[in-house]
Amino acid sequence: MNFRIIKTLFIKDFTLFFKNRFIAVITVLGLVFYLFAYFFLPKTVDEVMEIGVYAPVMPPIIERIQNEGLKIETYKIEKDLKEAVSKGKVVAGLVFPADIMEKLKKGEKPIVKTYLSAELEPEIKSAISIFVNELFFIQAGYTLAIEVIEETIGPDMVGKQVSPGKRIIPLLVFFLLITETFGLANLISEEIEKRTIQALLVTPTRIQDIFIAKGLTGLILALSQALLFLVIVGELKNQPLLILITLLLGCIIVTGISFLIGSVARDMMSVLAWGVIAFIVLLVPSINILLPGAIVTNWVKILPTYYLTESIHRVMNFGYSWQNIWQNLLILLVYSLGILSVGVYILKRRYQ
Amino acid sequence: MSLKRILILLGKELIHSSKNFLFIWVVLAPILISLLVSLVFGTLFSEKPKLGVFDQGTSQIVEMLKKLDSLTVKKYESVAGLKVAVEKGVVDLGMVLPPDFDNQVKTGVKTRVSVYVWGESLAKNRIMVGIIIASRVRELSGLENPVIVESITIGEGEAIPWNDRLFPLVVLMAVFLGGLFLPASSIIGEKVKGTIQAIIVTPTSLIDVLFAKGLMGILVSLLMGIIILFLNQAFGAHPWLLILLLFLGGIMAVIIGMISGTFVKDFTTLFAIWKSCGILLFFPAFMYMFPKIPAWLGWFFPTYYLIQPIVELTQKGGGWLDIRTDVFFLIGIDLLILGLLVFLIKVKKPITG
Repeated sequence: MNFRIIKTLFIKDFTLFFKNRFIAVITVLGLVFYLFAYFFLPKTVDEVMEIGVYAPVMPPIIERIQNEGLKIETYKIEKDLKEAVSKGKVVAGLVFPADIMEKLKKGEKPIVKTYLSAELEPEIKSAISIFVNELFFIQAGYTLAIEVIEETIGPDMVGKQVSPGKRIIPLLVFFLLITETFGLANLISEEIEKRTIQALLVTPTRIQDIFIAKGLTGLILALSQALLFLVIVGELKNQPLLILITLLLGCIIVTGISFLIGSVARDMMSVLAWGVIAFIVLLVPSINILLPGAIVTNWVKILPTYYLTESIHRVMNFGYSWQNIWQNLLILLVYSLGILSVGVYILKRRYQ
Repeated sequence: MSLKRILILLGKELIHSSKNFLFIWVVLAPILISLLVSLVFGTLFSEKPKLGVFDQGTSQIVEMLKKLDSLTVKKYESVAGLKVAVEKGVVDLGMVLPPDFDNQVKTGVKTRVSVYVWGESLAKNRIMVGIIIASRVRELSGLENPVIVESITIGEGEAIPWNDRLFPLVVLMAVFLGGLFLPASSIIGEKVKGTIQAIIVTPTSLIDVLFAKGLMGILVSLLMGIIILFLNQAFGAHPWLLILLLFLGGIMAVIIGMISGTFVKDFTTLFAIWKSCGILLFFPAFMYMFPKIPAWLGWFFPTYYLIQPIVELTQKGGGWLDIRTDVFFLIGIDLLILGLLVFLIKVKKPITG
């Protein structure tokens, strides 16, 4: 192993990488676009339903009903309530007549006026009507003869929900890593097709030097972008070493995939064709993080990106530590070494 | 112009282009985007809580809950299946109904119900599901609603789901990716390899070559448009009008693609033009995403006359009378740019020199 040769090859690969306008553009634009996507998505989760109430005589249930998911705002003037609804400050505005309690006691049905914004989703409109009736069932003391045995599955996130902005981070990190596959695979396929690799091998350069230089190029390009992205979005504060190791293993995987694609592709178009197939398959686990419940099957667990994105998600959004995700890291390590070895083996055969 | 030669060239185009990555991509991309849009915006931004039920008996309450549009109800065949669904966030809450639930409720006998809550479920969803279940249980036990709810709607807008807002963009992508890129890339590819010059020294004319490439673009564009409308269940009452619109849109895309293909020297420039000028084609789609953009701005963009009638037919229940002016404008634009293409080829002679 000759460090001087490796350094020269690394600089050559790095320069060639950015000489391809398409790859250079998608690398830089990609980072900008991912940052835009991150900042565009909401950073908080509105898990409280706010309902406005105007009542000359406030029914006692209004005080009792407030809890974590429901906030009742009271208004002294009906006009203010209407304005709050039209400005979207509250989901709905309820107007209780002054004699509501008397009518309920007499067994009569009072009329409750409900102001709803025209832009409110139909499902919420119908839920409000159910809510109002339920409110007065409770007020009237109609308890249900049901004993509810409740069990929360998974960590209870009420009050500390993971926002869409945070859920998308593993997906964007995956995008950043996989994009580098295209660039590195293109470099490799070009070297094979133009036969520069044979030219290199007649010099004192050994095949190991080429692999190390190529591996380093892929690793540094992918890792630097992912780290830069995480620094900008401020997600490297919690367990930075753990995230760094996870990313490093992810980078080894994409480098191995680049070797595989580079060895079968003949030009830029076929790099894209093979790359897109790898991209779509490996993307699936991060979709499941962004949209929980979208993909229910367990087969996603055979994909290495499941352990990559799941670890990033759990560490960043749930505060997991080494003890919680060491199995994930171990599996990721096995995958990364396996994919890299297969990539090196196939590429070596192609070179020879 | 020879029909026989055009058909031979079209056959050649179909055989060779279908092996090309770009062909696969223009076919796959609109479908993937459409599926992703419905998945992301039908799920991520949906406010509707989801309830899973495993009914050990035959309770009426499941059907009563299913009839409501304020929550989504899914039935499961076992407690284990229900728990997996809750664990993965498929449903916010999972409820196990005992065998004789309805009778126990009706007779006022205290009954036990197991409820599994997904830890990441929103607090408001948990509350709403709880309230909705309670209201149906009361209905089942024969209790009448204690109050009359009178709903008053404030404002004139309406809730437009993001699926609907993004639909015009997906349709435009389906029509323009295939319609524009296939003829453009095919012409550029032949120019680079020099095969187009070789063909036109034979009895095959440049018009025959361009016609064959255009025809393939229109066929793919039309097919993709139909697939996207089908995937979005948007054919509605006027399928033939929609197919006519897709056909006219395909012609527009193909002519723009042919103008690009004949005047652009390589793929990199084509992609650069696509990235910088794409906004001119897709701007009308952004108007539907953000309804606050004044509608009259769309009149200045040619694709407005394609997408406006499609939206009118698929989302607003319109008919021929509502769209005829736009259709005539669309035909006018197609003829105008076709004239421009013919003029540019005859005067500038970009391929024959």
